[in-house]
Amino acid sequence: MRLSVALLPLMLATPVRAEPPLSVTTDSSAYCEELAIRVTNQPAARQDAVRNLAEEGQRLCDTGHVRTGIAKLRRALRAAQGMGG
Amino acid sequence: MDAAIRADAAALTDRRRTPSIEALADTIEDRLALDVQGEALYLLLAPDGKKLAGNLENWPSEANAEQPWIRMPLLRDGLVSEARILRLDVDGGHRLLVGRDVAEKLRLRGLLSEGIAWAASASAAIALFGAWGLRRALERRMAPVYGTAEAIAAGNLSQRVPLSDRDDEFDRLGRTMNAMLDRIAQLMEGVRGVSDAIAHDLRTPIARARAKLEEALAGARDEEALRAAVEQGIADLDGIARVFQAVLRIAEVEAGARRAAFAPVDLAPALADVAELYGAVAEAREQKLVADLPTSLPIVGDRDLLMQAVVNLLDNALKFTPEGGSVRLSAEMSPGLVEIAVADDGPGLPPEDKARAGERFFRADAARSTPGSGLGLSLVRAVAALHGGGVALGDTHPGEARPGLTVTLRLPVG
Repeated sequence: MRLSVALLPLMLATPVRAEPPLSVTTDSSAYCEELAIRVTNQPAARQDAVRNLAEEGQRLCDTGHVRTGIAKLRRALRAAQGMGG
Repeated sequence: MDAAIRADAAALTDRRRTPSIEALADTIEDRLALDVQGEALYLLLAPDGKKLAGNLENWPSEANAEQPWIRMPLLRDGLVSEARILRLDVDGGHRLLVGRDVAEKLRLRGLLSEGIAWAASASAAIALFGAWGLRRALERRMAPVYGTAEAIAAGNLSQRVPLSDRDDEFDRLGRTMNAMLDRIAQLMEGVRGVSDAIAHDLRTPIARARAKLEEALAGARDEEALRAAVEQGIADLDGIARVFQAVLRIAEVEAGARRAAFAPVDLAPALADVAELYGAVAEAREQKLVADLPTSLPIVGDRDLLMQAVVNLLDNALKFTPEGGSVRLSAEMSPGLVEIAVADDGPGLPPEDKARAGERFFRADAARSTPGSGLGLSLVRAVAALHGGGVALGDTHPGEARPGLTVTLRLPVG
């Protein structure tokens, strides 16, 4: 009781953040699919390096490692764009 | 980080690259698709609030504040990190957020700070431990020096710093301190000797002068006799003052205060002048002064002091040489050394007196009857020591009944 009374001015002084934290839509399985389609649409999608990265990314997404999978797919997309000139 | 966000935002809103809102939306989606680090945050809204592109779920109300920069918590994989976001207004009422997930940067900063804190703590601990160890070692090695200094401060001047066989810098310090203490003891012994000698040797002339004055006071028959007695008293007191002056001069020479007056000087002409002056004195006493001097005797030293030393030697030599005898003043130069010798035909000195000659107020038994204070040779020795040289006493005619005395003043040229 005494502690809450002592902390009251502090609690009053601290602004209450009513808004929930921001959330990101690109950490989802749906974004995995979207990236996989982007990679597939690239001219260099059949290259081994690109295909291996894309497959690995897809597999990671499927096994629940969504952020790691998305990172692999992004690398595959970069590789594909780099090869495609 | 803010600079990267600002550059990204500037590139996105560059009209040449993104001439339309559709192009801007496509660019944002392309950038998100290529963001391997997964740090980029975008949100593009239409004027009606419809989401056109980006990866932020909704427009935070904090982004409506006046300040364009905001910092907000960001939820990713169930963990709260932090986002740094810049708000921009695009043409036609469109609104854009450009930001970065700074969690990794903050984590890295935290790791670095922690690492630095640990490293600093470890360095401080090692430094403290090292300082403590060094201090202990120093205290242990300095303990004999402290002990000696305390003993000397307490009055035990015979104490010396014990030395180890390590021959390190502490032993060198101890040796230097011991040498200094030996020198101080020697000087104090000298001072004590001089004090004793002054008390002993000046008591006699003072008592004699007092007795003469007392006798004149009691028995003077007329003013003439009284005046003569007073004059004699003044002369006696002048003699005592001269002795004091000589003692002070020796002390000044021994203290090295005259070294500042050293200059290159040729002693040959000065010695010739002295020989001429004392030649006349010798003739008046039926003696002969023979000078054998080179044409040049270059040396670095104090000319006046050196001449005073030679004059003292000649005074002594003439004093102890009988009528008809001769005194020889010679000088020669060997590599790095000048030797000035004064030889007489006097009674000479027995070996034990030769060893003591040069002590202040020392007078050989045979010299008690001749006038003098026993300070002449002391000054000669002090002058020689000041010039880095020495004095040697020998017989002029070794083996004879009257061997005479030859005093040689040896002076280094440099």
